Amino acid sequence: MRIIITLAFLSLNFFSYAQDFDFSSLLIPENLKEDANSVIRFENLSIDIKSQREMIISYQTAITIYNDLGNEHSNLTIQYDKRRSINNVKATIYDNKGAIVKKIKRSDFKDYSAYDGISLFNDNRLLQYNYTPIAYPYTIYYEYEISTSNTAFISGWILNGSYSQSVKSAKFSVKYPTDIALFKSEKNFKGFEIMKTEKAGFLSYEIKDLPALKWEPYTPALFDFLPTVKIGISKFNLEGVDGEATNWKEFGKWYYDNLIQNTLELPEATKLKIKSLTANTSDPVEKAKIVYEYVQNKVRYISIQVGIGGYKPMFASDVDKLGYGDCKALTNYTSALLKEVGVASYHTLIYGGEKRNFNPDIASPQGNHMILYVPDANQDIWLECTSQKDPFAEIGSFTDDRDALVLTPDGGIIKHTKVYKTEDNLQTTKGNFTIDSEGNINADVYIESKGTQYNDNLLNNDGKSQKELDLIFKKYLSNINNIKFLKIEVFNNKEAFSFEENLAFTATNYGVLNGHQLLIPINAFNNNSDAPPRIRNRKLPFEISRSFLDIDEVKIMLPKQLKIEFLPEKFELNTKFGTYSIELIKIDDSSYFFKRTLKIVSGNYQKEDYEPYRNFRKEIVKYDNSKIILIK
Amino acid sequence: MKKILSIIILVLMASRIIAQDFKYGKVSKEELEEKYYPLDSSANAAVLYKNRQTYFDYQQNIGFMVITEIHERIKIYNKEGFDWASKNINYYNSSSDKEKIIGLKATTYNIENNKIVETDLSKKDVFDQESNKYWSQQKFTMPNIKEGCVLEWNYKIISPFKRIEDLQFQYEIPVKKIEAKIEIPEYFVYNRRHKGYYPITSNEETKGSTISLFDRTREGGDSRQRNVTSTVTETKVNYITKLEYYNATNIPAMIEEAYVSNLDNYKTAIQYEYSELHWPHEPIKYYTTSWENVVKTIYDNFDFSSEIYKSNHFSEDLNLVLAASPTDSQKITGILELVKSKIKWNDYNGLSKFNGTKKAYKEGIGNVADVNLNLVSMLNKAGFKANPVILSTKSNGIPIFPTIDGFNYVIAAIEVDNDLILLDATEEYSIPNVLPSRDLNWQGRILRENGSSAWVALTPSKPSETNSKMSIVFNDQGIIEGVKRTQYNNLNALNYRNKYAKIKDDDIISKVEAENGTMEILDFRITNKNEIYKPIIEMYKFSSEDLSEKIGDKIYFKPLFFDALTKNPFKLEKRDYPIDFGTPFLVDNMVSIEIPEGYVVESFPENIAIGLRENYGTYRFNIKIEKNMINVYSLLQISTPIFPSTNYDEIKEFYKMIVNKNLEQIVLKKV
Repeated sequence: MRIIITLAFLSLNFFSYAQDFDFSSLLIPENLKEDANSVIRFENLSIDIKSQREMIISYQTAITIYNDLGNEHSNLTIQYDKRRSINNVKATIYDNKGAIVKKIKRSDFKDYSAYDGISLFNDNRLLQYNYTPIAYPYTIYYEYEISTSNTAFISGWILNGSYSQSVKSAKFSVKYPTDIALFKSEKNFKGFEIMKTEKAGFLSYEIKDLPALKWEPYTPALFDFLPTVKIGISKFNLEGVDGEATNWKEFGKWYYDNLIQNTLELPEATKLKIKSLTANTSDPVEKAKIVYEYVQNKVRYISIQVGIGGYKPMFASDVDKLGYGDCKALTNYTSALLKEVGVASYHTLIYGGEKRNFNPDIASPQGNHMILYVPDANQDIWLECTSQKDPFAEIGSFTDDRDALVLTPDGGIIKHTKVYKTEDNLQTTKGNFTIDSEGNINADVYIESKGTQYNDNLLNNDGKSQKELDLIFKKYLSNINNIKFLKIEVFNNKEAFSFEENLAFTATNYGVLNGHQLLIPINAFNNNSDAPPRIRNRKLPFEISRSFLDIDEVKIMLPKQLKIEFLPEKFELNTKFGTYSIELIKIDDSSYFFKRTLKIVSGNYQKEDYEPYRNFRKEIVKYDNSKIILIK
Repeated sequence: MKKILSIIILVLMASRIIAQDFKYGKVSKEELEEKYYPLDSSANAAVLYKNRQTYFDYQQNIGFMVITEIHERIKIYNKEGFDWASKNINYYNSSSDKEKIIGLKATTYNIENNKIVETDLSKKDVFDQESNKYWSQQKFTMPNIKEGCVLEWNYKIISPFKRIEDLQFQYEIPVKKIEAKIEIPEYFVYNRRHKGYYPITSNEETKGSTISLFDRTREGGDSRQRNVTSTVTETKVNYITKLEYYNATNIPAMIEEAYVSNLDNYKTAIQYEYSELHWPHEPIKYYTTSWENVVKTIYDNFDFSSEIYKSNHFSEDLNLVLAASPTDSQKITGILELVKSKIKWNDYNGLSKFNGTKKAYKEGIGNVADVNLNLVSMLNKAGFKANPVILSTKSNGIPIFPTIDGFNYVIAAIEVDNDLILLDATEEYSIPNVLPSRDLNWQGRILRENGSSAWVALTPSKPSETNSKMSIVFNDQGIIEGVKRTQYNNLNALNYRNKYAKIKDDDIISKVEAENGTMEILDFRITNKNEIYKPIIEMYKFSSEDLSEKIGDKIYFKPLFFDALTKNPFKLEKRDYPIDFGTPFLVDNMVSIEIPEGYVVESFPENIAIGLRENYGTYRFNIKIEKNMINVYSLLQISTPIFPSTNYDEIKEFYKMIVNKNLEQIVLKKV
């Protein structure tokens, strides 16, 4: 939703190789067929940096595809724009024995606008070809060459970027002029045999015979455990603007001077207005809060991707007039207003979405989002300026806990964003339910969420109509059939940084009548967890991506006419992945207090830890279904 | 007296609100101050007013252009409604000819310090973007949007085509008032189709119209003479214009509900399809209208006849198949499999050819018409009475009127003894009369070459069956061990193959385990995975600690274990759209449970047999205890694929009773 920078694309260089290559799929060794829907027979990505303003990317690859699950790899899409032209593209399809089935020329490709469905406008274009296979296996060879003046983005290398795909050989090389310095960052090379060549003006990597990986649940992102190389250069050009930087400090300075500095001017009327709004306080945090709320009420998020606009914020004065902008524009506007009231703030480049840090070694454009940093003596304040709902200084799971680049007039600084502790991500469920002798339930529930749980519920539930909420909560309480809601209220309590949900409902047949017994599940309100699936012989590490803590306190009132035959006992689990406990506390003969806590701790774990984690979750599922048994 | 007074005041207030001015720019304070939509407080935005006028304008040397003028006034109540401040206007833009959008004007109105403040959209904030080869969009988002603001825009679309855009009355937000006027000269005849549930009426009248045709003739003037005189002769042509007026108020918002195959089918709108041209002094040119015309147009325009009888390219392959097939049914399946193996569907729908039958056959790729017209052609060649059946896929909506646009797909049909065999060679796992789900949309139309045509029911008459047998024992540790055998027929087999036939057993096991809680599968076997003319048989052994619960000296379990239906799929209180099951179906489960030694049955659920009206659905559940065995039988049968929404309460209640029964448990007690 808030992507600013479209990643630079891959590409290629020599093609005599392809002419000598035997494309027959019979030559593929057995170990590369295992778990593979496709095999990269060879891949060659070479980047030739001719000068600060010229780069040629050439790419050749041959992929053998075994079945329709591998077909996505024969759908070619190449992006281009005004500063990025495709000099050459072609493809050839070979059959099982290596004979040519079809030759595909540039004119066979479809050429259209890269409308992304999100942006109001996006000026990128795409060349695309989808091949419909007539028999499996087949091999597709394709090559293309791209030239661009945008040397700021140099495609890095991630090995085997797909599950269920093996690699026979893959090569990545960069050629660069001697007056430009090259920076590189290598990650996760351990355990892989990578041939590296490094000399003046040239760098290359090659790897061979990499078996396919099979996707397994709870696996971290591929780039977290597969070899990657990132590349940056000291002199670059970004959408027509020259730049020079050897470290983040210099890069940040360049970015600020060229792309931010002159965008901050505001109309006089707005200056006066924001000054008068903040006139009653001298506290900078208080002022920042007033400004943030002013922005939230005035503007909305609209994505527009045009040329340098992908990197440079819209003028603050334009945002003021139009009342909308993308993440850069809204961050910039907020910063301009803060400046006006004497509060320092800095634009910050960051990866939004799954946790990804800025690479400390490569000073070149990274990230896909922009937020605002406000330094304060007591705390770091981060502002998500695209949200009209987030409380002041709460960024949530979209940008928390990662290294980002803060852009100041003096240069760039890598800083770590706000970390939410497990206890911060708290959901408390309070309420009571009454069961009658037929098993019908009558319930009141109050759910309060904080931290990242606040964000999840805010995004899902805030502003929804009653009809939508009805379905959302029927799904949330899917363990209860036949629900009729008497009340559904949701409230974004910005001041308290909590999302509040108030429900009242009745449902028939909640308790199950078994002859003369009535079975009543004790955990009515927070009973929707599943255990992870069994993985035989897990191969990949596993990750619990988010921490949270749930505390439930519920009063249960039982029908007085029935006798208690069975009450679940207190139960506790304590593991390195978290803790779980349930307990029924007697209030009087027919009412009990049910207390449940579940804490899950995020982290990266070994593959051997998966089975214990699964057992932990299985136990939770089991005890969440504990029942009180009554007898007539 | 007091009462009367207050009624009068209410009436006065009401009329004050109603008296609105819908001229562009005349946005009232009341509109700006309205906090929520009076009839539906949950609406985030509303269309306050929409005016649509479509008329034909004669332009010298060009001919009739279709002009559509749009004026819309939108109210935004809260932030959730901000999406309605962005507008996309689609227009046709091919390399040969294009539509034009002119006169775009747009304004945002806010109230500030009790005054109305207007902000106009500036031209530079309007973007033009290509959507695909044929369509483009003008896109803009309004400036200065705040909660409570009102937006207004108007524009004209000038079309050289005879395309009249759908007249849409219903949106995802409510509409206070829509007015429309459609003027069509007598020369042009359109099929009108009303879709959706909200009733819309029109007033119609006619008026006389005139166009002037100017003809310039030159006299004198050769290259040496200067005094050229030219005379312009004006010819007046009188014709009748048909006018349709629409006026609708308070149209409720369209909200998505579950189990609706395609929401657009139900949004209220009038669709226009160009069907006849009555040009003076010329014979009537038909585009559509009657089924005969549709058939003819399709046979003519879409090359059906030439495609169907172009048969040389496959003769050799066909003869081989026929030689190897002694019976008719073997011939049919032989031909179906031949087409499947020879031509792969490229996922494109459409009635017109993509490659053409011959090229598709040679290259092995084609769209649905290429694939299935080859099939029709071969069947004919083999002596069957085969014809194309055109249909509209589920995602394309339901066709009711004789229209060409309504159909986007073609399959083959063989007529035998008053019966039909339907075939679709685009789907690897389809067999005669078992079509993929995308085809099962109401009715198709069989097109015979003699021009006759008829409706054909697409939904299967035979139910898709899933039959399972399971036997359960408790081992020494009280853990459940079982064997399950399930047989899938017809559409269920097709869907099973689509889901599982291409993946390895190991992966299927993981999926089946994940679907059934925490059971663990030991042995797993699928029979007839690729033998598509036989049912799928899935067999596995499993064990689980969680399918039963031991409490004190008792054991509790659901008689159908993981096959129990524990959640009612119907959750809405009320439903406006039909319930579409896709196919009639039957699911039965037989479970036999060995009572562990030392235990007796303390209680078990009572038998039930319930049904829907007119035998459209039945459910039976029986338990028999014989010696140390508990035998459970459960049967759910739905015998019609689609139910009107009026049956919703009954179906929901029916499922509720099934769920309640499935949740009841068997209790064993230690002796």
